[in-house]
Amino acid sequence: MVLIEYAELEILIVRIREISGFDFSGYARPSLLRRASRYLTTHKMDFPQLLVHIEQGGSVVYGLIQELTVNYSEMFRDADFFMKAKSEVFTYLESYPTLRFWVAGCATGEEAYSMAIFLKEAGFLGRSLIYATDLSKKALTAAREGVFTLGNVRTYSENYLAAGGKHSLSDYYHVAYNKAVMLPELRRNIVFSMHDLTGDGVFNEFQFISCRNVMIYFTLELRQKVFRLLYDSLSMLGFLCLGKRETLRYSGLEENFKVIDSTLNIYQKIR
Amino acid sequence: MSNATDNGSLSLVLVGGSSGSFAIFEEMLRLVRNPISFALIFVLHRGKSSTAVLPQLFKNKTNVAMSEPYHLDPIEENSIYFAYPDYHLLIGPDKRFHYDCSDKDFFSRPSIDATFISAAVSGIPVKAAMLFSGSSADGAFGMKALAEKGFPTYVQNPAEAESPRMPEQALLAYEKHRVMVDGNLFSIINDILQ
Repeated sequence: MVLIEYAELEILIVRIREISGFDFSGYARPSLLRRASRYLTTHKMDFPQLLVHIEQGGSVVYGLIQELTVNYSEMFRDADFFMKAKSEVFTYLESYPTLRFWVAGCATGEEAYSMAIFLKEAGFLGRSLIYATDLSKKALTAAREGVFTLGNVRTYSENYLAAGGKHSLSDYYHVAYNKAVMLPELRRNIVFSMHDLTGDGVFNEFQFISCRNVMIYFTLELRQKVFRLLYDSLSMLGFLCLGKRETLRYSGLEENFKVIDSTLNIYQKIR
Repeated sequence: MSNATDNGSLSLVLVGGSSGSFAIFEEMLRLVRNPISFALIFVLHRGKSSTAVLPQLFKNKTNVAMSEPYHLDPIEENSIYFAYPDYHLLIGPDKRFHYDCSDKDFFSRPSIDATFISAAVSGIPVKAAMLFSGSSADGAFGMKALAEKGFPTYVQNPAEAESPRMPEQALLAYEKHRVMVDGNLFSIINDILQ
């Protein structure tokens, strides 16, 4: 493992911005440092070599940015969250004639497909649209394909059942070339598109926003700005879902939400 | 980022372990008496579906406040913290906890290396770091990083650990860690915790 220091990380942030225009200055340093160290380790280089390496620009810098921003995800991650979303949130939303969901920071689509499956089982996928956004073009391309390895799908199947799935996850994909391909009918109601939470603005109004384990990558200051964007994107009485270790604390917007579940971090906009 | 607290004197005691460490952690908590002048941080390997809430499980062992912290919570002295399953727990230079969802280290999330390395570069003094029984090489690099920064590092004697691999790998990566043998294990721990 190669260890880098915070002073070096700041140099890297400046060089990446100069070469590519991508600005990491609002990203939380501890996790960025971990990811940069891992990049050096897996690519078998030290910090000075990395600085020379990224001078090549183009796909090299792009690849580095991908690795520094990529998020680990799985279908039905946190079964208890999905159960609660079904019992507390979906039942509330049932009466709406049309519904818009936003999976903000969707990575390779696992959560968007999970949502689509549970909305289908709840009987209102047909009148719902799921916007799934990410800043990574590469992740979005994978998300649109909806192809997952069978090894991962085994875990997803367990998660699905633990979350109270009504059937078998295998009802929602077919197997081709040893991969699971999600059924096209699930994709029909999902719009995958590029959106940078740190720079882009409000693009629609939603009854439900899931932004789980995304805020942890932003500094306190940037995080407040992103919270504002999510708040502005929610319709009145809309729901906001955060990751298990994230809270609205330090967001400056605590007063505007009612806590639906303090352990699973589900909130409802009330003002 | 501004400092979370004005607590300029914050120091850390770090404890890592995996299979075979649980009983030692339990015993260690018994030795912790309120108040302690540092933050005591435990990283124990656990599955992502682990529902055991450690602060609750251990609540009768000590009278020091225990928690599984949230992202950005300030790190405070006289507190005990446990890493939460399925996330890496990082120590920020802003004296706050940070979470990270990147890949596992040695098939583990939380990983001991993630926490220990982040502590080593955080600028916060580490009073001691200890590594116990476990069956992977996680923690070895973090322990080395801490030792090379000049912080005191202790490993359980591999021959006496229920799963020797973890302390063994730490000593292979860096041979100058202090080795705690059964005879003095808890007296060393007790000295560190005072």
